[in-house]
Amino acid sequence: MEKKLRPTAIAAFFAILVVLPLVNDDSYIRHISIIAIMYAVLGSSWNITLGYGGVFNFAHMAFFAVGAYATGILTKTFGFSPWFGLPIGITASVVASVLVCLPVLRLKGVYVILVTFAFGQLCLQIVLNQRELTGGNFGLVSIPPLEIGTFSFRDYQNIGYYYLSLAILALTVAAVSWFSRSRFGWRVVALRDNEAYAVSRGVPLSRIRLLTFAFSAIFPGAIGAVYAQYVRSASPDMFGFSFLTLALSMLLLGGTGSVWGPVAGAFVFTILSEVMAPLGPGRYLITAVLIVLILRFFPKGLAGIPSLVAQQVRAARKPKPAAEAA
Amino acid sequence: MLDSLMLAFQSIFASGLVLASLYVLMAAGLALVWNTLGIFNFTHGALMAAAAYVAWTVADPRGLDMGLAMGVIAAILVSAVLGFLINYLLVAPFLGQKQIVLIAVMTTLSGAFFIENSALLLWGPRIKQLDKFVDGSVRIAGTTISGHEAIIILLAPLLMLGLWAFLRFTWTGSAIRAVAQNREFAELSGIRVQRMYAIAFAIAAALAGLSGIMLGAIRFITPGLGGEPLLKALIVVILGGLGSMPGTVLGAYLVGFGEATSTYFLGAYWTQAVLFLVFIGFLALRPNGLFGKP
Repeated sequence: MEKKLRPTAIAAFFAILVVLPLVNDDSYIRHISIIAIMYAVLGSSWNITLGYGGVFNFAHMAFFAVGAYATGILTKTFGFSPWFGLPIGITASVVASVLVCLPVLRLKGVYVILVTFAFGQLCLQIVLNQRELTGGNFGLVSIPPLEIGTFSFRDYQNIGYYYLSLAILALTVAAVSWFSRSRFGWRVVALRDNEAYAVSRGVPLSRIRLLTFAFSAIFPGAIGAVYAQYVRSASPDMFGFSFLTLALSMLLLGGTGSVWGPVAGAFVFTILSEVMAPLGPGRYLITAVLIVLILRFFPKGLAGIPSLVAQQVRAARKPKPAAEAA
Repeated sequence: MLDSLMLAFQSIFASGLVLASLYVLMAAGLALVWNTLGIFNFTHGALMAAAAYVAWTVADPRGLDMGLAMGVIAAILVSAVLGFLINYLLVAPFLGQKQIVLIAVMTTLSGAFFIENSALLLWGPRIKQLDKFVDGSVRIAGTTISGHEAIIILLAPLLMLGLWAFLRFTWTGSAIRAVAQNREFAELSGIRVQRMYAIAFAIAAALAGLSGIMLGAIRFITPGLGGEPLLKALIVVILGGLGSMPGTVLGAYLVGFGEATSTYFLGAYWTQAVLFLVFIGFLALRPNGLFGKP
C-alpha cells in the first residue's frame, strides 16, 4: 500500500508548494516557506554522507556557508554577474568538500566528527581574519541580488527566490532518489554496512568516499549561493553551533537513510520553531527536550512513524496466542 | 636581539603554562567520560558556564553573599549533580544502541543547548565576573602572573595526580577502569556498570565545574563561556590519543604552549586558524593521536 501511495504523495507535495504562492502572498509565510525549502535541501543532501554513507560529516553546514561566502565575495567585491552565483557557490562547496574529505579518508567514527567540525571552525576563523574581504564579525552585506531586466527576484514577495529554491529542492530530491537506487549508491551503502567485505569485493573506498562528499556538496553550495542572494548577506553565524544543531536535528528527526525523512523533518521543524517564536528563549529549551524525546522514542525519526504505527496496528489486530496469556 | 628573544620566551612560557593548565583541567573530565563510556560529552562546556554562574550567585554580594569558598563548593556540587542527571537522562537510555556515537553527540549537544539557554533565562544577558581566588601576583621565570593564575598552574598537576591515584588505588577507581576495559567481564565480576558510568560522569562534571570557576575569574561569565575552551579540550584529548591519560596531559601542554607561541608571533586572530589546521594535518598523519591505540 505504501508503495502505491508514494508517487501520489510526492506529486501532491510539490503541487502544493508550486501553487502556494498563487493563493498566498503574505510576505511572512513566503519567507518561512523559503527557509523551510532551503533546510530541506540541506537536510536531504546531508543525508547522502551521513545517512547513506554512514560518515559522521559535521562539515555540511560549512559547505553551505562556504558557498554563500564565495558567491557573496565574488559577485560583490569582484564584480562577477549575480548569475554566476550558482556555479560559484557549487564550485566552492565541492572544492571545500574534497579538501575536508582528504584527511577524513583514513579516519573513523568520532574522529571524523571532530575533523569535519574543526574544518568548519577553521573556515570560521579565516572568515573572521580576512575582515577586508568577508566583513569579519559583521558579516558580508549588500550582496547583489538576481535580476532579469527590470524584474528582480525580490519582486512580488521574493517570488523569484521561492521558485528557484523550490527547483533546487526538486533537483536535490530527484538526485538523492536516483543515488539511493544507483550502483554508486549501493556501493556507498555497502561500505557503510560492511566496510571490510565491500573493500574485499573491490569497492574502491577512497574514491567512492571522495565522490560521495563531492556529490553531496553540490546542493548546499547551490542553496548557499541562493541564500546569500536572497537575504543579501552572509554571516559568521552560518558556521556556528546552533545552526548546525538545528539542521542536524531536522535530519535525524526526519530520519536518516530515507529520501523523504529529511524533507519532512525540515518542514515540520521550521514551522514548529515559528509557532514557538513567541516563547522567546524558552523555545530553545522545548526544542532541546523534543530532540531527546524523539531520539529516545522514535529512533528512526518521522520517516519511521508510519511503519511503527502499521506495526502497532498489525500487532493489535492479531489475536494474542493463548500460551502467552497463560 | 638576544634580550628580545629572552623576553619573548618568558612571556610565552608564562601564558603557555596558564593555558595548558586550564586545558588539563577541562580535558581530564572529557577524557574520563570518553575512556569509560566511549562517548564525547558536549555538555562539558555548558557545565563550565553553569558552575561559574552558581559560584557567582553564592559568592557575590549581589547574590547570596556567602563568600567565595562556599561559592566554589556549591558550584562543584551542583555540576556533579548535573553531570549525574545528564548521564541518567541523556546518555544511559541510549547506551547499547548501534549509532550510540552519533546519538550521544546529538543528545549532549541538546543538553548543552538546554543548559546554556536556561542560564540565559535565569541569569539574564548581563555579564558577570567572579573574584580572583587570591590577590597579588607571583614572579616566575622573569615574568609576572597573577596569584590566581599561579593557583591554576599548581592545581592542574595536583588534580591530575589525585585523579590518577583515585583510578589506581581505590576500589571504585579500579571498577571504573575495569568497566572501561571490558564491560561484560566487569559486569560478570559483580561490578554495577551503570553505577560506575554515573560516577565517572559526575566526577567529569565536577572537573568541568572547577575549570568553569577558574575561567570565570579570568574571563567574563556568559552562557557561552565554555564553548571555545571545549573545542580546545577536544583537540587536546584527540591529540593525546583517545584512551590515554598521559597523552591527554601531554596534549594539553602541547596545545597550551603552541597557542601561546603562535599568539606571540602571529597574533590572536591567526592562532585559532593555525591551531585547527595543524590539528587536521596531524590527524591525517597519525589518525590515533600521540598515544592512542588503533
